[in-house]
Amino acid sequence: MTISPERNPSFESEPVIDVRNVSKWFGNLVAVNEVSLQVYPGITGLLGPNGAGKTTLLHMIAGLSNASTGEIRLLGEPVRSNPGIYHQIGGMSEHESVYGFYTGRQFVEFNARLQGINQIESAVDRAIQSVGMTEAQDRPLNTYSRGMSQRMRLAATLVHDPQVLILDEPLNGTDPHQRIEFQNLMNRLAEEGRTILISSHILEEVEAQAERILLMVNGKLAASGNIRAIREKLDQRPYKVRILADNPRSLASALLQTDVVESVTIDPDDAIVVLSRNVSVLQQSVPSLARDLGIRLFRVEPLDESLESVFSYVVER
Amino acid sequence: MFLAILPVALSAIMAALASDEPQYTKDFTDVIFDGLIIAVLLPIVTMVLATMSFRHELDDRTLSYLVLKPIPRAMIVVPKMLAAVIAGGLLVIISGVVSTVIGPESSIQAVLAVGIALLVGVVTYTAIFTWAGLVSSRALGFALIYVFLWEALVTSLLEGARYLSIRGYVLAIANGIDGERFDSIDDRVIEFPAALILSATLSALFFWLTVRRLNRMDVP
Repeated sequence: MTISPERNPSFESEPVIDVRNVSKWFGNLVAVNEVSLQVYPGITGLLGPNGAGKTTLLHMIAGLSNASTGEIRLLGEPVRSNPGIYHQIGGMSEHESVYGFYTGRQFVEFNARLQGINQIESAVDRAIQSVGMTEAQDRPLNTYSRGMSQRMRLAATLVHDPQVLILDEPLNGTDPHQRIEFQNLMNRLAEEGRTILISSHILEEVEAQAERILLMVNGKLAASGNIRAIREKLDQRPYKVRILADNPRSLASALLQTDVVESVTIDPDDAIVVLSRNVSVLQQSVPSLARDLGIRLFRVEPLDESLESVFSYVVER
Repeated sequence: MFLAILPVALSAIMAALASDEPQYTKDFTDVIFDGLIIAVLLPIVTMVLATMSFRHELDDRTLSYLVLKPIPRAMIVVPKMLAAVIAGGLLVIISGVVSTVIGPESSIQAVLAVGIALLVGVVTYTAIFTWAGLVSSRALGFALIYVFLWEALVTSLLEGARYLSIRGYVLAIANGIDGERFDSIDDRVIEFPAALILSATLSALFFWLTVRRLNRMDVP
């Protein structure tokens, strides 16, 4: 389903990435099922829970694997058996393997050479600088933290200044500061007219940088469109919260008097299960209610915060 | 390395103990050259090196760094095969050449015959085993079965199978270059031109299959 119509003027032009009726199966397992999508310049987030088929789809888009059926074109050309197209594409896989014996700089240089770049030194300097790894560039890759390794891999992906970036879970292992730097870098690249497709299983991660998202669930494209529209739908979704307290009945009764609670049940373990459409207000209400009533809280936990439940909600809508 | 030293050491022992020249030459050719260098050292060394050409990068998922580049797949395969040929060739050819120098009726022609024949064997085996390593993670096991079942057993029982045996090609090429030195295997080798053409064809075929496989496979 499409959550909102595409309003980007650039969408009137040819899509940079054009996926048509693509399926991929491994034996009896259907990993990607009849997916059609178009990606245009700017940042597009490919979102979905683990196992949704994001990596399989990105592998096919990057030309790393064949589609069982369907057609994929990048910049108007088929990507499989077309190595020349990689002058314009930068791909970063989810797996974090690197050649550990290289220093960070040597690794980026290695990628630059394979790309056939003429001004290798300046291109490598620029790429490493863009990910903020200049100081650590001469250390062997196997001494890097996960986040540092990801940034150097990103530098290697950017070294030939590609028009299209396909990044599979690029923020794995990065800290909040690095994420902000990454987002700024992606925004800068997008403003220069590049097409960036980023996958993630973390909604907030994608939300922070992508204007448009593609939502995958169980190998299918469940939704696509403007992220704000999708977010609004998600905000209307009721959440379940489980509360353990020393006087559950009194607390349940008090919670029912508030505006943010839709229903309250007490399960056989004397745990309160609250259904609410405004979890942030509920989070503030519960401790203050408990304090006013002299009730001790042992635990407050969301029951269905998983991405799967979020996606299920969007899909069911 | 031990396997490469073994023929040299055995050649030295045989040379020290040899008395009857024709029988010594025949024994050297059968036991050291054919039985040890061609039947064991050559396939095992090339098998290990060639099947591992892509295996490490497939296992640790770094092959994508190579294939996501604007270079023809053949340009990825060629250096891989060359590396296996150089590393394996050095070991096998040096072992074969040194053994030949130590052995009977040593001559420049005999050394050339052994060197060229082994080089052809290394190239052909490398082409086949590189492809096998890309097709299956169990390539080493399959290669062992092929070498010891097909090359050692079937081709010695069925005369026609020698046209599909790299061991047969190597023997035929050595015999073709120095017929006098390797006359004891006259009755069990195929024609020299056939050996050259078939080994070149097999090498080219499996090189093409490897490039094709790299183009079509799902890269992890």
